[in-house]
Amino acid sequence: MNIREVIKTVNHMQADGVIEGYAIGGAVGATFYLEPAATLDVDIFVVFKPEPGSRIVTPQRIHDYLVTRGGRIEREYVVVAGWPVQFLPPVSPLVEEALSQAVEKDVAGVPARVFTAEHLAAIALQTGRAKDKARLLQFVEAGVLDPARFQAILSQHELIAAWQRFEQQFLQ
Amino acid sequence: MTFDLAKILKSKRESRQQLAARPIAEKLAMLDALRERALAIQQSSRPAMESGVLHEKPAPYRGGKVEG
Repeated sequence: MNIREVIKTVNHMQADGVIEGYAIGGAVGATFYLEPAATLDVDIFVVFKPEPGSRIVTPQRIHDYLVTRGGRIEREYVVVAGWPVQFLPPVSPLVEEALSQAVEKDVAGVPARVFTAEHLAAIALQTGRAKDKARLLQFVEAGVLDPARFQAILSQHELIAAWQRFEQQFLQ
Repeated sequence: MTFDLAKILKSKRESRQQLAARPIAEKLAMLDALRERALAIQQSSRPAMESGVLHEKPAPYRGGKVEG
């Protein structure tokens, strides 16, 4: 059970041309900026490559690639190095932007592409479950957000009103 | 040892800051350990479960305005 192995595998998958790019999001992405918090899966956002000769984009190539290397399909997850990994397409302009502006981090010699803290916080605000709000509060309290950058993202993605409600609810 | 809530909260905040400042490889290893514990707890409470994998409900990542 080893997230670093998951990251290595995804890097190989990118080098082998199965995906064009990726970035780690969710709780594992947040761990790059905050204290670790228990999570049950790894969310990896990917730029899918269409099948050769087709415009249809599916995760089938990813699944095939990982299964031939010891991965196992479990519902919407692929289990890699003991972790259920979910490969997600960028389903909103915010996530698309987060993917394109992801940053590279070093995990003891293994490069990992991760969403910025500001994008992770904005996605948590947009997703809006209780645990997302808790994570957003962690980002705020940890002081890891660049205020100008965060505000620009909120403005760009029409999240200012949601942020004001969050501020009223939790920060006043 | 203290029962001063302000001191307790300050101490907790400092602990969280120290954890957050650890090297990322160490923090990811902590996630591995946390997950192993969660699996062990689940397996001991549900020995006849079908799968050894715990799942979370996927996040409803979505576009557009937030209403709530």
